[in-house]
Amino acid sequence: MTESEERLTSTTAPTERHGQKVVLPPHRQRAARPYQVRAANWLRINLFASWDRTLLTVISFAILGSVIAFVVWFVMSYANWNVVTDNRRLLLIGSFPHGAEWRLWVGLCFVFTLAGASYGMWSKLGLRDGLFIVIGSAFALFMILHETSQAWAALWFGVAVVLLSVGYLLCRLVPREEGPTRRVATRVLGLLLALSVPIVFALLMAGPGGADANELSGYLLNLLLAPAGIAGGILVGIPLALGRASSLKAISWTCTAYIEVVRGAPLIGWLFVALFILSDIIGGDLIVRTMVVLAIFTGAYMAEYIRGGLQALPRGQYEAGHAVGLPHWRTMQLIILPQALRISIPPIVGQAIALWKDTALISIILPLRELVGSSRSAIAQGEFITARIEVYVFAAVMFWIVAFVMSRVSQRIERSLGVGQR
Amino acid sequence: MKTLRYGLLTAMVLAVVAMVAIACGDDESGDSSGEGRGDTIQTIKDRGELKCGVKQTQPLFGFKEADGSVVGFDVEFCKALAAAVLNDASKVEFVDASNAATRFELLASGEIDVLIRTTTITAERDAGRAVDFAQTTFYTGQGFAVHADSAIQSTADMEGATICVQSGTTTEQNLDDHFTELGFDYTPLGGEDAETQDAFLARRCDVWTADQSNLASRISAFDNPSDFRVLGQIISKEPLAPGVRDYDSEWKDVVNWIVHGLIYAEELGVTKANVGQMASNPPNTTIARLLGVAYEGGAVADLGFGVDPQFLQRAIAAVGNYGEIYTQEIGNNIPRACTLNALAIDASVDCPPGKGGILYALPYR
Repeated sequence: MTESEERLTSTTAPTERHGQKVVLPPHRQRAARPYQVRAANWLRINLFASWDRTLLTVISFAILGSVIAFVVWFVMSYANWNVVTDNRRLLLIGSFPHGAEWRLWVGLCFVFTLAGASYGMWSKLGLRDGLFIVIGSAFALFMILHETSQAWAALWFGVAVVLLSVGYLLCRLVPREEGPTRRVATRVLGLLLALSVPIVFALLMAGPGGADANELSGYLLNLLLAPAGIAGGILVGIPLALGRASSLKAISWTCTAYIEVVRGAPLIGWLFVALFILSDIIGGDLIVRTMVVLAIFTGAYMAEYIRGGLQALPRGQYEAGHAVGLPHWRTMQLIILPQALRISIPPIVGQAIALWKDTALISIILPLRELVGSSRSAIAQGEFITARIEVYVFAAVMFWIVAFVMSRVSQRIERSLGVGQR
Repeated sequence: MKTLRYGLLTAMVLAVVAMVAIACGDDESGDSSGEGRGDTIQTIKDRGELKCGVKQTQPLFGFKEADGSVVGFDVEFCKALAAAVLNDASKVEFVDASNAATRFELLASGEIDVLIRTTTITAERDAGRAVDFAQTTFYTGQGFAVHADSAIQSTADMEGATICVQSGTTTEQNLDDHFTELGFDYTPLGGEDAETQDAFLARRCDVWTADQSNLASRISAFDNPSDFRVLGQIISKEPLAPGVRDYDSEWKDVVNWIVHGLIYAEELGVTKANVGQMASNPPNTTIARLLGVAYEGGAVADLGFGVDPQFLQRAIAAVGNYGEIYTQEIGNNIPRACTLNALAIDASVDCPPGKGGILYALPYR
């Protein structure tokens, strides 16, 4: 007998939940009425309480319904999705060398394993996460298998998803309480996470047959530039935030000047710096210079968010550190920064999502063809000149997927660190 | 007092660091000043790769295929240059110069070695921007396209017409000049390149104007090219040429003579297929000189380019002569009627002078 059936049949008997008998208090006994009654009640209270609310409900549903109908009509009937499916290689990996696709798949497997492991170590997959993974995988498999026999690619993707689950399950086995096993496991995982960006670059580019920097384009380029910019930004931001809060005026002024100057100009302007100024200072491939600029730019914002976290901490925290005889830097490392970073997580993730979307600006200024640039090539093809909306909708969805994942992950981090609860 | 001392100390340390950084920065820029400015040929050789700025959004000229490869008429000239300088036509990095607004910046910043991107030579660009133009690769002009069922035959029929034109371009100015001259009213419908195309397809305008080659190339890529008609009339000169950085005449010479050489090769009948045979057994001194080989036991003529005398031979072997590139990349999408009849009115300008065109290859000696 399932829980709902039980509720239907027995109205007053104690409810069984997670193997424990729960006796509902009198004021909650209402909830045990048959669900038809409860549903009708809910509808009456929330949607049809009075004639004006009923009118509002009808109007809202009419608008909502027509929007949904329009989207369904656009997706199912109007749109010519061939522009996306025929150009999926161009859009997703651009000019990545033919025959080296396995590097991408190994990279994907690595990232998926890490993601699964991190989730298993510090959090728990919820129903919505599972649903998202299923729908996302179905979408990916559809893209891979549509109208071609890409069995190998589908297999690779399957392996990646399996590795995600394996990583998740393995890390669920690690005890949740602090202990030697968990300490080692978190250290290893933390190190892998910290090194993940260089590892992925090595997987894609190292050795003979690897991709040249200029062969990285399409969605892949967004996926590489944004994490590099975000990770670099945090690395730049932490010392800047500490520096700005420093009592040494020279350091504090320098950091303030950096932050104000960098934040004072739009990203598009700084991308010109990658093109003209950094080429003389650090040289190298444009893609590297772009990453440096993204890190410099993001760093200024990150610094301000972290400074916000630092200032939110009561003075007593610093004083407590000094009182137990910790030197300044140890106080920072052990007491202040962990708390400040935890407070700053929401704005830091907000900035990360903003930077992720800002990578779409890159192909406006620089000759790097990320997803939006590749989209322009796709709609220059004769048969797809009228399919501009479809390509841009696809690009928007691809941007949304990652932004959504980042937002979910940040919620998980916040919950597991107890942000907003203390 | 303590704070002050710390402050001063930090300031001094920072000042020293800054000075060292500036000094190092100078050193590095000193090292890299050869790169990108002044000695492009050596830069290309050191890099082992030619960086060629091409369009990636215009069918026939510079276009990125669904598999990620870049193709087109302009792209072939990049390959010819790579074959000439690096002896390998595949050693080209195609840098995206689709954005008209930043193309010259790419050249100025050293991000590309040469810009081959349907760029019109204008006096303002040559004089005012850090760009030098080599020999024109494609002569075109501003043309007009109409729907096939339209009665319009030339601008004389366009009184009161709505005309789609890309905003902020010389095309827009030319159009205004032309209609002022005619004394006609017209309604310009501006927008981005692709927007004007959409508006024309949706019949929001009667006429679509752009470079004639651009119109023809885009219409050629439509599903139903025969539903449209490109008018024969041209109202401006649009010579499309490769651009290089100012103050690098050695490199400009090479780019310039690659174009002249490929045109000359067509005139002399040297093709991709027969260039090897002609090089081993040149029929005359002209061809021997063009291919950088000895004729009848004479010496190889070294004309003093920054590359070895066989550079044109390698370029022709890699991509063929001008006519072959045209046939392969543009073909009948923009008909090239080179006839011996100088009076042939349909003859395209992109033909040798004796065949109704103005592609006048300079003598190679």
